[in-house]
Amino acid sequence: MNPTTLKLCLMAVLSLVGIGLYGLMICRNLIKMVIVLQILVKAAALGLILAGQMSSQINLGQSLGITVIVADTIVAVVGMALAVQVQRRLGTLDVDALSSLRG
Amino acid sequence: MATFLMLLTIGLPWIGAICVWWIGDRRPRWQHILATGFSVAAGAASILLLAFSSSGVALRIPVGGFFGDFTLVPDGLGVFLAVIAAVVGSLAVIFSVDYMRGKQQLGRYYALILLFIGAMAGLGLSGSLLFMFVFWEITAFCSYALISFHNDDPKAVAGGIKALIVTQLGGIGLLIGALIIRSQTGNYQILDFLANAASIQPSILNLIAFGFLAAAVAKSAQVPLQTWLPDAMEAPTPVTALIHAATMVNAGVYLLARFYPAFRDVPGWATSVVTIGLLSGLLAALMALVANDIKRCLAYSTVSQLGYMVYAVGTGSVFASQFHLLSHSVFKALLFLSAGAVIHIVGTRDMREMGGLGRDMPFVRAVFVIGSLALVGLPIANGFFSKELILEGGLMHGPRWAYIGMLLGAGITACYTLRMVSMVFYRKRGSVKASHDAPVAMRISLGTLSLGVFTTWLLAGAFGELLTGSLPYHQLQTSKTFDLALELLNAPATWLALLVILLGFALWMMHKQLKPLIVFLRPLSRIAENRFGFEHLNQGVIRIARSLSSVLRRTQTGQLNWNIVGIVGGLGIVLALLTWRI
Amino acid sequence: MTYPSFLWLIALPLVTAPLVYLAGRLGKRIGQRVLAQGAAIASLLAAWMPFILASVELRIYGPHSFAAEAISLRLDGMGLLLAGLSLGLGTLVVLFSGSYMANEAGEEKYYAMLVAMIGVMIGLGCTGDLFNLWIWFEAMAVSSYLLVAFYRDQPASLEAGIKYLVQSAAGSVLVLLGIGLVLSQTGTLDLMEILTIAETSPLMLAAGALFLIGFGVKTALVPLHTWLPDAHAQAPSGISAMLSGVVIEAGMIAMLRSLLALTGVESLWGPLLMGFGALNMLAGNLLAFGQKQVKRMLAYSSLVHIGYMLVGLGITFYAGESGGAQGGLFHMLNHGLMKGMAFLAAGTLLYALHLSLGDHKPLLIADLAGAAKRYPIAALTLSLAVLGLGGLPPLAGFMSKWQIFVAGFETHNAWIGALVAFAALNSVFSLAYYAPLVNAVYRLEPSESVLSGKPLSGLMKVPLIVLGLATVAIGIWPALLDWLTVPAGATVLVGLGG
Repeated sequence: MNPTTLKLCLMAVLSLVGIGLYGLMICRNLIKMVIVLQILVKAAALGLILAGQMSSQINLGQSLGITVIVADTIVAVVGMALAVQVQRRLGTLDVDALSSLRG
Repeated sequence: MATFLMLLTIGLPWIGAICVWWIGDRRPRWQHILATGFSVAAGAASILLLAFSSSGVALRIPVGGFFGDFTLVPDGLGVFLAVIAAVVGSLAVIFSVDYMRGKQQLGRYYALILLFIGAMAGLGLSGSLLFMFVFWEITAFCSYALISFHNDDPKAVAGGIKALIVTQLGGIGLLIGALIIRSQTGNYQILDFLANAASIQPSILNLIAFGFLAAAVAKSAQVPLQTWLPDAMEAPTPVTALIHAATMVNAGVYLLARFYPAFRDVPGWATSVVTIGLLSGLLAALMALVANDIKRCLAYSTVSQLGYMVYAVGTGSVFASQFHLLSHSVFKALLFLSAGAVIHIVGTRDMREMGGLGRDMPFVRAVFVIGSLALVGLPIANGFFSKELILEGGLMHGPRWAYIGMLLGAGITACYTLRMVSMVFYRKRGSVKASHDAPVAMRISLGTLSLGVFTTWLLAGAFGELLTGSLPYHQLQTSKTFDLALELLNAPATWLALLVILLGFALWMMHKQLKPLIVFLRPLSRIAENRFGFEHLNQGVIRIARSLSSVLRRTQTGQLNWNIVGIVGGLGIVLALLTWRI
Repeated sequence: MTYPSFLWLIALPLVTAPLVYLAGRLGKRIGQRVLAQGAAIASLLAAWMPFILASVELRIYGPHSFAAEAISLRLDGMGLLLAGLSLGLGTLVVLFSGSYMANEAGEEKYYAMLVAMIGVMIGLGCTGDLFNLWIWFEAMAVSSYLLVAFYRDQPASLEAGIKYLVQSAAGSVLVLLGIGLVLSQTGTLDLMEILTIAETSPLMLAAGALFLIGFGVKTALVPLHTWLPDAHAQAPSGISAMLSGVVIEAGMIAMLRSLLALTGVESLWGPLLMGFGALNMLAGNLLAFGQKQVKRMLAYSSLVHIGYMLVGLGITFYAGESGGAQGGLFHMLNHGLMKGMAFLAAGTLLYALHLSLGDHKPLLIADLAGAAKRYPIAALTLSLAVLGLGGLPPLAGFMSKWQIFVAGFETHNAWIGALVAFAALNSVFSLAYYAPLVNAVYRLEPSESVLSGKPLSGLMKVPLIVLGLATVAIGIWPALLDWLTVPAGATVLVGLGG
């Protein structure tokens, strides 16, 4: 991998992380939240693959990336399931509706 | 033998506590019997222990690693403290049989009292700082739980929590001192520390000395941490007697006396001790002069008398301070318990509603007057000898200004005592009446204590031998009872003190004629009623904590987006710290 | 090839978890509802056997590893400690849950998930590889999401579940990024190897920060703690006990393992841990002060205790003083016992006063008034637990705090001395909110909810009594747990190269 591609990938990871964290801070919709979380996870997976590449163990990096994607899919599924319940019980997906526990 | 007796003195009350609790509130008769039995047995064991006192470690159990050895040392100071706790404590328990008859939650009451007595004995006998601190904290817990025994009364709860927090705040001083000692000498043994104190770096020894002083000030309710004691009056009266005479407050004076040899030469320490003793002795006496609640009045008088003991340690008269501790625990237990009898029978604590009660309850009046004699310090009563010893020691070894202050305090003591006695038992009849005199169990403990008032001073010689024989580091000078009495009677200081006491009496007799003077002093009395502003300080601290808490709770917005901001912010801060190396 | 017994210790709960679920389904069909709980108890009791064997093996052979393909497991003192804590508290929680969960629809899922979570946490403690660590960590998170949001018809518990999920997931992504950085710099994921290879570089520093914060979300460092009071207060009480007593501690073990691998990189981890410790103590206390809901107050008090552990561990990181880590880990065990007891006792009362009547109101301190008369065991153990948490002797909490404080002064560092004084001050402060709880419980005048409460079953009291006795016993004889804490403390020292 030439340095330019490396830099490009690094930029992609960083910007995905940035988008993810920013998204978590501003998103109001629960489904969007879960999607943003997935963006973050993809950033991490990309980062792992990149790390494998940089330490010349691309196969290790790729297997880590795939494992991460699988593991976090479960999290996404659980998150969606909870979102469905919220929609059923509260009739909304707005996270601001979920702020009864405070203080 | 000494080991066995020490274990009995600590263990019997604790086993008793478990038994009383186990037997349950459905069998109150058995609870009374068991509590009395175990406490009296512990008292007997502690008295036997007097014969076996020695200066060395009698029992050593290695706990391991960071906890050092658990040791018990039956030396004079410790055994003496244990005897006071167990004997006076058992009298309070006997008194409780009448006082608590028919009350609910007896199991909790007796279990805590017995736990308290055992912990106090352990505090005295423990030779390891760690376990001394453990017992110290257990007494703090017991006092809290007993002061707020009437949990339904918010004032009692507040008083209990206040006692817990204030004494624990002071306890931090002891904690830090103990930790420093461990880091310097490698173990927690008090004897090792006393032997090697001189080799510890002065600045570090300084820290230890003042840490211990803070702990003692909080525990013995000295100025400026005295505010918990008056609020502790919400407790059932036998408990008050226990806290004031047999257990809790003695611990502070004991701590100072125990470590006096190590801190003697720390610059400024002795002066601070004397100052604290003087301030407590004087200010509390003034507060007692204006208090209208009989228990509160006695509570202030405790603070004031403890001030005398603390002052005595500061001037180097360790023996006098411990001797006064003995006298005080006897006469103050007597005063509190007879006040308890009064309160139990007439149902109020306000002295303004009382008056002329002496005709209805001659027995209680008699014992209360006996106790008052000792508190004032009139001859033949034990308080006379011990207080004169303190004043004489102060005159010879202490600063002159402090002596004059303490002398003044003796006068004020006479004044407020006479005020108390006349308000409760003499005067014309108040709004309340006593239906009967004290019942049997109360009479037993009151009678024993009033006997004690006239006799304990005879023990001065034996007590002195006990201390000198088993305390290698204290360098005490004591003499036989007879010589001591003769010496006191020949000393001009004694007569001066008696004169001041008479002046104090006169002051109260003529308080009607002295109206202008009293009007002049009124602002002072108002300040005294407000406890010289220390209470405001307390309230301020609580207010600050509350407002900080409510500010911080607002940050718990409950909104997910803000929570994420917290995470990102945390990451940012850590990265920034790492970048700029703090 | 022989399998070391700690492998069985991890595998047994994981393998039996689905069986517990099946047993529960079967039990429902044949009308024997106790089957799920019975299976869970059997599974955990069976796991005690390899646990005892593993602890003997650890004593004889010292730390030992097992590797198969990408799975790398390693038993050392810290792993054994976490295994003991999660298995011990887990068994008691399963015992406790019998009547607590009896009326719930998804009972069998509850038990299966709980058993699986225990297995996962044991695995988390016994890992020697950074990525394995993350996998266990994620598995633990997923199982606990479902348990937190167990009452899926209750809006409050859904809310807590969502917050917990989103924040934990964000944290775990940060950990992954850290792992990526470490891999790119060192080329290995083995914790021991990283320790020897790693050199100081900005990227490794960033990796450490990511581990600290990523695992810190689960460990509830202030200001990453915001999910904790919601999750711990809304979960079923048995799960609250597990979350507070084991799960956040497991997060801390994970953080510790990852930071220990980076000790060569940076000397600032110790001060950072101590700083977060101080922050946690102060913020936790202030937040708990004036709290009216019992479970929420207990949840905040977990922040405080995490603070003590961090201080202890930080002392060792900074000064290499063995007592700090040992004391911190000792406090971890004691906190598990005491906080477990507190949540279970509060849970029994919550169950008796509200849940058994079918209402999901939070348990207020005012509700507890006079509980001692009708529920003496629950009242006594709740009092013991909070007083122990407040650091009163002779209860367990005092001894572990003392050990941390001793270690602090052994360093002869004035700043650490001041930190210890601050910690002691916080300990006193905490009594200002613990003590009123005790006072309320022992009032004579019962509250309305106590009067209308249901009686308790005997089995619920067993875990309370066991925990109460353990707390007192450890308080009187702190050396009782040395067999767990000393090797665990040694692990930290080995990691530090001491």
